[in-house]
Parts: sequence; C-alpha cells; structure tokens
Amino acid sequence: MTAVTEPGLGALAQPHAPARPRRRRKVDAFPYLLLAPAALMMVIVNLVPIVQGMRMSLLKLNQYTLSQFMDAPFVGLRNYRGVLLDPANPVHSGMLGALRNTALYSLLVTACAVSIGLAVALLLNRDFPGKALARTLLMLPWVVPTYVVGTLWGFMWQRDEGIVNHVLVDVLHVMDHKPFWLIGSNTFFAIVIPTVWRAWPVLMLIFLAALQAVPEELYEAARLDGATAWQRFRHITLPALKPVIVIQVMFQVIDNIYSYNIVAMMFGKGAGYPGEWGDLLMPLLTRQSFSYWRFGEGAAVSFVMMAVMLVFVAVWMRTFRRSMTDES
Amino acid sequence: MSAPSRPARSSALPAWRWLSALVLATGAARASALELSMWVMPVTTNAQNDIPALIAPWIAAHPGITVRVTVLDWESGWNKITAAAASRRGPDLLELGTTWMPAIAAMGGLEPLSAAQLAEVGNGAPYYPELWKTTQVFGRRGVYGLPWYADVRAAFYRTDVFRQAGVDPAQAFATWDSFHAALRRINGITVNGKRIGALAYAGKNDWNVVHNLAPWIWNAGGDMLSADARHSALDTPQALRAIDFYSRLAVEGLVPANALEKDSDILEGAWVGGEYGVIFSGPWLMRRIFEAPPGSGVRENFDVAPYPAGPHGHATFFGGSNLAIFKGSRHKAEAWDLVKYLGGKAPQVRLSLLSSMMPARVDAANDPAWTSRHPVFAKLTAIAADGRAYPPIPAWGPLETVYTKHLGQLAELTAGIGDKYSEPAMRAMVHDTVTEANKVLEEAE
Repeated sequence: MTAVTEPGLGALAQPHAPARPRRRRKVDAFPYLLLAPAALMMVIVNLVPIVQGMRMSLLKLNQYTLSQFMDAPFVGLRNYRGVLLDPANPVHSGMLGALRNTALYSLLVTACAVSIGLAVALLLNRDFPGKALARTLLMLPWVVPTYVVGTLWGFMWQRDEGIVNHVLVDVLHVMDHKPFWLIGSNTFFAIVIPTVWRAWPVLMLIFLAALQAVPEELYEAARLDGATAWQRFRHITLPALKPVIVIQVMFQVIDNIYSYNIVAMMFGKGAGYPGEWGDLLMPLLTRQSFSYWRFGEGAAVSFVMMAVMLVFVAVWMRTFRRSMTDES
Repeated sequence: MSAPSRPARSSALPAWRWLSALVLATGAARASALELSMWVMPVTTNAQNDIPALIAPWIAAHPGITVRVTVLDWESGWNKITAAAASRRGPDLLELGTTWMPAIAAMGGLEPLSAAQLAEVGNGAPYYPELWKTTQVFGRRGVYGLPWYADVRAAFYRTDVFRQAGVDPAQAFATWDSFHAALRRINGITVNGKRIGALAYAGKNDWNVVHNLAPWIWNAGGDMLSADARHSALDTPQALRAIDFYSRLAVEGLVPANALEKDSDILEGAWVGGEYGVIFSGPWLMRRIFEAPPGSGVRENFDVAPYPAGPHGHATFFGGSNLAIFKGSRHKAEAWDLVKYLGGKAPQVRLSLLSSMMPARVDAANDPAWTSRHPVFAKLTAIAADGRAYPPIPAWGPLETVYTKHLGQLAELTAGIGDKYSEPAMRAMVHDTVTEANKVLEEAE
C-alpha cells in the first residue's frame, strides 16, 4: 500500500517540485483572460460614462455651451449648490415635492408589491388543478412593457370614460361619484397602482421558487408539534424567505426611486409635469435638465441621486448582510 | 511547357482588366452621384413616400443628385437635431419647427443665407411676415431658412349645434362677451342624441397649453414676453385678464371638466365624434373631418371662425415649419437649391394638399388649388392674416416648457377639486411661472 502512495507524496518533496506553482499561475490567469472582454466592456459602458457624467456635473453645460461639450466652462460645485440650495434654480423647482412623492411612492409600491407577491406565492405553493395555467396568467402584467402600462392606465383612469371609475361607481357602487384620478392629489395613486400591478407578479414568481426550496419536513414537524398556520409562516416560511425578501426589497426600492416610464407615458404629452402629487425625481430630472437644456445641473442631480442610492445600498447590505448570506 | 500557359495568361489579363475597369467605373459613378440627406417631420401621414414624391420634379431637373429622406418624429426629433447641431454631423437640409429654429441657429447648427440667396427669394416678401420672422434669431442679423408650411389656429364649430341653440355664429365669435354668451347657450344641449359640451380644450397633459392660451393673451393686449424679450410678460394686467377669462370658461363648466384630463388629439377626435360644440385647432383637423364617416353629422355641419376679438383684436397663433441648411453640410449649394425649390409656390401648394397644413407663402395660400379644396381652407387663409408667432428667441424651447408646466396646472384649479379656482390662486400660479421663466431668460443672456 505504501509503495503505491509514497511516490505521489514523495514527489511533492522532490527538488523539481517548484514547477507546480508555475502551472498554477497559468491556470489562474485563464479565468482573468476570459473575464477581460467583459471587464473591458464594463469600463467602456459604465465607467467611462460615469466619469464623463461626473465631469459634466462640474461644467456650465447648457443650450449655449452644448457645442463645446466637454470644453464648456468649468464651474466647480456651482451646479450642485444651484440644484440643491437655490430655490430660484429651475432644476431645483419642485424638487422637494418630487422627493416627497418618490419616497412615498417607493415605500408604498415596494410594500404592496412584496406583500401581494408573497401572498399569491403562498397561495400558489400548493397543489390545485390548473396551477401552471394560473401561474402563467398571473405573470401577464409583468410581461407588459412599462410604457404600455403607463399608456393603458392613462386611459383607464379617465374620469368619465375610464374603466376604473366604471367598475368602482357603476358596477361595485363603492363610490357615489366618479373622481378624477389624473388631476389633483389622486394622481399619486394613479401612478402607484399601475406600478404595483406590474411589479408584484415577478416577485410572486421569485418567492414561489424560494418557497419550493423550503423542506416539507419542517412543516410536517411543526404540524406534529401543533403549530398553527400563522406560527408555521412566522417561524418557518418567513425565516426561509428572508434572504430573498431582503434582496428583493432592495431591488424594488432602487427600481421605484428610478421609476420613470409610467409617469412619462401617462403625463408626458405636455411639459411632462403630472402635478404636485404625481411628480417623481426621475421625470423631474429628465424634464428639468433636458427640456430646460441644463445638462450640467442635470448631471449634478444624477450624481446626488447615485450617491444617495449607494449609501442606501451600503446601509441595507450591511444591515442585512447576515440575512442575505445565511442559508438558514 | 510554358507556352500553353501564356495564352491562358494573356486571355486572363484582359478579363481582369475589364473587371478592374468595371469596378473603377462603378466607383467613379458612385463618386459623381451626389446624395443629399434631408430630415423632415411627419407632415403627412405617409411622409416617407410623400416627400420623395414632392421633390421628384427637382430630382428630375438635377440628374446626378439623389435625396435620402429621413422622417423623424416630433418627440425624438428635437434630441436628434440638437445632437446633430452640437456634433456638427447631420443632414444637408432639414425641417425645423418655427420655435426650434432660433435655438438651433444660435447653437451654430444652421447656415445663414447669403445676400444673394435672400435676393433669389425676394428677401422673404412672398412669405407671411410673421413666419419669415421665425427664420431669424431675435435681436440678431441673419436669416437661416425659408418657411415651409404653416399651422394657423381657428375656432372649429358645429353649425348644427349653433343652429339648434339659435346662436348666430357671426355674433358668437365677434367678442369675448358674445363668445361667452354663445357657449352658455350651446352648453348641455342635446344634438344627435349627444349632450354637447360647449368648448373643448386640454389641461396639463398636452403640448398645446401655451398655443391655446397665447391668442387670448395677445387679444387682451398682453404678450408672452416683454418687448425686449428679456422678461416674461405673463403677469401684466392684460395677460392676467386673458388667463382669468380663459380659466373661467372651465370653472363655469363651459369646458367640461373631463376635457381637462385629455390631450388635444383625443379632444379633436371627440369633437369630430360630436361631443363638443367648439374647439380651437389647426388645418390638420380637416384630415380627421374628411376621414369621418359620411352621415356622422360633423362633415356636413361645421365651419371655422377667427378667435373672438378681445380688447386688442383677434390674433391667432401662427406656427409651422421652416427648411434650413445644416451648417455641417458639404453640399450647401445643392441643399439651398432644394430648399429654394420647396419654398416655391407650386411645391408649397402641393404639400398643403397632401398634408392639409397651410402654405407658408401668401400666394400659395391664396392659390385656388388650396382655397377651393374646401371653403374652410379659404377661411383659414383669411384668418392667417392675423397670425402671430412667438418672438424667435433661442430660449423659447425651455421657456415653453416652463409655461406649459405651470399654466397646465390651471387645470388643477379649474377642474373644481382641491384648491378651487380664484383670481389670487391664479395670480400666485402665474407669479411662479414668471419667476421660473425669468430665470431661464436670465440664463440666456
């Protein structure tokens, strides 16, 4: 036995053993070689525009200096001061309202979409006839592109001709009069509801996949111990889904803070201003930097938003690091 | 041994030479064929075919020149044109909305016309003076193109509705007061089984917010900008009076509240569908009227009238598109020749017949081919005499966004929800508009 194994072990101790690290180095270089094109593309597609955008935010880049582009006058941090602190700055105008709306919108959409997605995933995580068909049909809202969602709901919210008021007032008799949804404070709900409508199905699918990975034995054991449905959900399902929920909430918050299409399609035919209760940060940023031709200030707001989001992601990841990596 | 190969070589050589000659000849032919690149907007429903057909006679007269027509759309066209102007890489000639032209010219994106070129077109004499003004930049010397077609606004009204309500249209559109009284009489009557809303105009979600309001301001003696174009003039007593009158039409329910959440396109369809008595629109609405099914009632029962006269007349909004030579063009002489051709009478009449947009030349707008097509076209030509364009300032684009953003919010007040309309509330809204507009104008200096 030893005669068979010894040469192998002994070979490690041979003087020519240093040949191995050389081989290992070759093997180590290969993955980097494979990654190189992707890394290069990342630099070209992401890093270069970020650096360029950062420089733009320090320039007086507007309608009158656009032809100079990167050679436009350097103004240091003046764009940042203007958009953040100067109430008379056109890009600043309405920013607090848009900030408030975006925070509420993001919280509400995330909470509703995650809750509905989880609830429906729990319902679908059991056997019943037509389960596959139900799952497919429920995914339909997610398949519809956001710009189509915005356009369609824009029609559905019309006070007199829209189907929403028809259902609420004429069919269900929930209300005694037809309210405006596209004018006034209801505008906020007019953008929240379509966003939730489109967002929850994909969350449902992700939660369903995660639920199917939870061992059935845990539930059986809990049942034997007399655990109620709520206790099983509270102590088995929720902890098992926590890593997925944590990461999906983060994605939702990011998506919703950067939300643009639905508002733009629903209210984009004039100045793109949906009113005090419908304006979000991205439509505001697009309108007030592109329509006003204030590209330097627009870039400054973009970087402020990016910085805020980076802080949010860092805090979130730090807070839930254990939940995201813990298999249990 | 080598002998047999020689004939083969000698026979292959001429073939190779022939091939080379053919390739060179093709290349030379290509080099001599000059291609002009032209960007246009969808002025007709089938511009990709209609514009080449329009310029076909010019192509026939210029052998060796071809024109590649690219149809942009109004939404993305602005970004594409500004990017071209900034990079100096773009078409040879292009169509520009009248309010876009000063901005692109100020960016250095357009080639100014020379004195000789201006002389060739009579120094602009054949065109409507207000449209000719839009080919220039306010306060600067230089002309950057030719007017191509015009957008002129008028009141389109249902004659059967007015008849049933016993309202004389001539009286109705005479003054603001008579217009107000007429709207009150036609509002809510039932015609062909439909309850009529007196007037349709859109709220915030529409690109016509400013164009709809401007004639009322002008006719009240106000203006969009101060005389030196350095400040917003929306807070003058005249302009405020006009905004108040216009808003109260909605507050009183003469503009149905549900119109305020729609855009012009939908409202025009609804007007053609018989839901409203009056709508202020342009010549393109004729296309929709012609397409309405026979017996729909509207085709046989409509007419146009000028804006009701305010204390200072009955001006209307005058816009449209101009043609210009791109600064970066390498074929400016040929591009000018084509611009000049399209600025001529016959092509303008032909384009108007294809598009239902009004010719920008006075003689073309009075040509029987246009005026006899339908009595309404002749009336639009007459109304155009009072047409008025915005001051051609480079900052008009951002300024119009500011105006549209704030004035569109009048719908929030006039729809009767939340803060109810009041003159102080309207004044506060206008004050915000003026503050932001002045900041944009200040930047322009």
